[in-house]
Amino acid sequence: MNEVIGIIIAAILCWLNFVIVDTYFGLPEQPGVRGASIIGKDVEKRGGDIAGGFFQGNILCSPDASAGTLLASIGYLLLGIPGGIIAAFLVFIGNRLCADPGYAGTCGSLTATAIIFLTSFIGLTPEMFIVGMVIAIFTIMGISQTGASKVLGNIAKKFNRHARE
Amino acid sequence: MFDLMLNAISFASYGNFYGLSNIAISSFDIIIAYIAAIICSIVVALILRLPLLPSRPYRYSFDVSALYPTPIIAIGVLSIFLVLNYTFMYNGLVLAVAVGVLSALFVKYLFDFVFPKPLDENTGDDSNE
Repeated sequence: MNEVIGIIIAAILCWLNFVIVDTYFGLPEQPGVRGASIIGKDVEKRGGDIAGGFFQGNILCSPDASAGTLLASIGYLLLGIPGGIIAAFLVFIGNRLCADPGYAGTCGSLTATAIIFLTSFIGLTPEMFIVGMVIAIFTIMGISQTGASKVLGNIAKKFNRHARE
Repeated sequence: MFDLMLNAISFASYGNFYGLSNIAISSFDIIIAYIAAIICSIVVALILRLPLLPSRPYRYSFDVSALYPTPIIAIGVLSIFLVLNYTFMYNGLVLAVAVGVLSALFVKYLFDFVFPKPLDENTGDDSNE
């Protein structure tokens, strides 16, 4: 498959994977670690959404499904499917070291391994997923933090996981 | 575009990239070993009287249970053995059962000692600037 088209498809798949897994496991609902709440309140002060701010703080401060997707694609590139499972195990240890209560990291890397395995039949390679995941995190954190937090807040409302103030 | 990266990776993991890891046993045996590790860890964890499901709502994963950390630890450690190409005997089946039993014992007796719970129960709630 053409590299540019593959990277675009991989970026969309990664974005959907980590946003759905993180939202389902309640990242917008409460800050898991202390830094996440500071970032969430700062984003809200600048005109963003508090739930999206908690989401951004959580994916910044502790290994969640975003880091899980990235590490699973790197592990899959190096070692195949066992590499993706090793990445899930290491993300689990990282969650414990960060004192982060949550299931999103391990579940996200396991689902990312499954997605990379299934899309390898249509020609997507793991390095496309690495580049795509960097692009996906860039759209959440890099372009406009307040705008992205509003989008994430709307998604959290759809999943009934919005932070109740 | 990826030539530099491809060379670096193929040197870093010689003959081992793109999922072609140097595991000696066949893929069917690998699947059987994973299933054996998962089932064995869950069954032994239930025998050791761990709860099957974590406490609701699913937000606080420091409470160990038979379904959340036990199979993850079992298949993670088994994957490390597989990619190092150490499959003991009977195509890795004995290794899978041993890893499952040991991970259940680890979760039951050593988990709180190795990964202690955070002292502050409500971290993140008290950050007043």
